Amino acid sequence: MISQSFEYSAPRTLAEALALLAGGDAKVLAGGMSLIPMMKLRLAAPGRLVDLSRVPGLTGIREQGGALHIGAMTTHYEVESSAVLRAKCPLLAETASAIGDVQVRNMGTIGGSAAHADPAADYPAALLAVEAKVTLARKGGERTLAFSDFLIDTFTTALEPGEILTGVIVPVEPAGAGVSYQKMLQPASGFAIVGVAARVHNGSVRIGVTGLSGKAFRAAAAEKIFAETRDVQKAAAAVPLGVEANSDIHASADYRRHVAAVYAARALNAALSRAS
Amino acid sequence: MKIGGAYTLAVPQQRAYSLLQDPDVLAQCMPGCDHLTRIADNEYEMKMKMAISAVQGLFTGTVRIADSHPPSSFRLIVEGSGKVGFMKGDGLLTLMPEAASTEVRYEGDVQVGGLIAGVGKRLIDVTARLLIKRFFEKLAEQIALQPAP
Repeated sequence: MISQSFEYSAPRTLAEALALLAGGDAKVLAGGMSLIPMMKLRLAAPGRLVDLSRVPGLTGIREQGGALHIGAMTTHYEVESSAVLRAKCPLLAETASAIGDVQVRNMGTIGGSAAHADPAADYPAALLAVEAKVTLARKGGERTLAFSDFLIDTFTTALEPGEILTGVIVPVEPAGAGVSYQKMLQPASGFAIVGVAARVHNGSVRIGVTGLSGKAFRAAAAEKIFAETRDVQKAAAAVPLGVEANSDIHASADYRRHVAAVYAARALNAALSRAS
Repeated sequence: MKIGGAYTLAVPQQRAYSLLQDPDVLAQCMPGCDHLTRIADNEYEMKMKMAISAVQGLFTGTVRIADSHPPSSFRLIVEGSGKVGFMKGDGLLTLMPEAASTEVRYEGDVQVGGLIAGVGKRLIDVTARLLIKRFFEKLAEQIALQPAP
């Protein structure tokens, strides 16, 4: 199906993009891997698309003050293949390489994925595990939020109307940290049925989980069990406890909970084998 | 699709029951709903504008309250349809007194059809739960705002 007609704008500056977005009934186009299919199905019919691909300063990865700043329009492929990220925040690069398919990774962007907040998207698991932050620009200002505060619920973020997510900030991993992202994917869509990102350093672990419930989350109870017992199986078994699990034609809630524990154990073991 | 869950409201059972039967309160708490217009006893016409992610849909339909057993249970039946599809939810709400608060348990069936069901299968369950959660969060806000009469 062809989408309903809409205005298309490709601003050359962030200020111009913010002004266009303030007009109402406009959506930001940041790769379009979710938005364009929804428009073609006529589930979404924004009056205007504000394409960020020509706004300077929104792509690329730079290191500053012990952190890596990733522009919102940086594609999954750029994250996956970045030598800097592979060396200094390998969990993000590994997770990017697991997203969708080649076409999606060439077009889709980290900012688009973060702002869309799909409950089965891959990035959120990793962004929680590395304790990422996001920068949000509005007319005349900017704010920085922890990704865990930014992600509110299914398709729901702290983005205010008229705000644009401009970048993601991740800390440079210390030497000796081990990471892994393990995902059971739904083959047709490439979305995670369940995805688990684990990051181990000095015997403590952070676990980010996606696909299991309405939004990606940190498995705090499992992290605590690991810190106390160093027992991978016990910690992994705690990941789905108390979680209201998703259910769809691909996987029931019980099955998803089971898969979450299995993949959490795989992610923890892989991260531990890489840590020193 | 079966749904179920529980939320705790910080008011006694009788008050929780009357709030959940009040069309003005229901209208304020149903996501995207402006108002409910009474068309018969315990039956209201609703207009709902849903906005989830980039999907926006206008639903029109009815909200009906049936099998009332004050102050402990009733059935809430919501039906709506719009360009992107239709939905029907039929749930039994049971109110359990808990000291000064009330636990509201819901159990029911949600059917979604049309375009949105065809392409959005993966997300119907999470979206239904999101909307129910928003409903109870709004209700809790309303309770916090208006002290008992």
